[in-house]
Amino acid sequence: MNTIDVRSLSPGTEVPVQTFTPGAVDLFMFSASAWLLHRIHYDLPFTTEHDGHPGLLIHGPLQGAYLVESAERWLGHGLRLSSLEYRHLAPAYLGDSLDCGGTVVDIDQDGGTVELDLWARTGAGTTTTTGRAVFSVEERGER
Amino acid sequence: MGVITEEARAWAQRDYPSHEFTVTTHDIRRFATAIGASNPIHFDREAAVSAGFADLVAPTLFTYVVRMHAYTLIDPSLLEEDGSPADDVPPLSTKRAMAGGVSIEIERRIVAGDVITVDKRLTDMYEKEGRSGPLVFVEFEFRFRNQRGEPVATERFTRIYR
Repeated sequence: MNTIDVRSLSPGTEVPVQTFTPGAVDLFMFSASAWLLHRIHYDLPFTTEHDGHPGLLIHGPLQGAYLVESAERWLGHGLRLSSLEYRHLAPAYLGDSLDCGGTVVDIDQDGGTVELDLWARTGAGTTTTTGRAVFSVEERGER
Repeated sequence: MGVITEEARAWAQRDYPSHEFTVTTHDIRRFATAIGASNPIHFDREAAVSAGFADLVAPTLFTYVVRMHAYTLIDPSLLEEDGSPADDVPPLSTKRAMAGGVSIEIERRIVAGDVITVDKRLTDMYEKEGRSGPLVFVEFEFRFRNQRGEPVATERFTRIYR
């Protein structure tokens, strides 16, 4: 996969939207892969009765991973994430589709790094997670 | 205000043990599959080697897997009713927890075979008035290093109790 030339980007360039629609199996895989035992991701009666949610929650860190993945699919594999900040503004529930996109905030003139604003939004238009990520050209020394 | 009691403040002055996590190819492939990763260096050793790595490469957010196993793969009697490690849950009148946010700086890649050490600290606890009542924010910091002592990542994580 070709890596994008960072110098061809400018502030405001849009990150193409990628849509993720995690199903029950996807939520289970994420919980299992991380050994995340929190019941609000798999136990519906507990989630509704104890926590008062209308449905099972899509994990915050899974949404963080979707933000990164949506950027990686566009940037290509010669850049890697070097920093990421995100926060959750609203819950996302099983059954929601999450459109993940963003915009370029800044680029390094040497083409070495790109900074992106990223967001995840439900099909109904609720922004659930926003973040800022920096991707840098992968250096040989770190391999 | 005053959801955070003296008891909770005292609780927050706590130390957590360090843990080691030996990264296997299956750990990497499970997480990469779960997040819908597309880069073949997470699935195919040949792709990882031809990209210049020693072995299968973990997705950049894999430190989450390391820290969850370190502090949640424990005797189930040490878990709260909601599945959280009791060691993480402050003595508050509310125990409904949600993820707040994350800030992570990544210094270098993790590859299969690495032994990652994670150190955990509770760095802050504070409250704010939310739309439906008080919210308590608990902030943790995790520092990760590899078997050569090289820094791998620093992650700050906020959990919200409402």
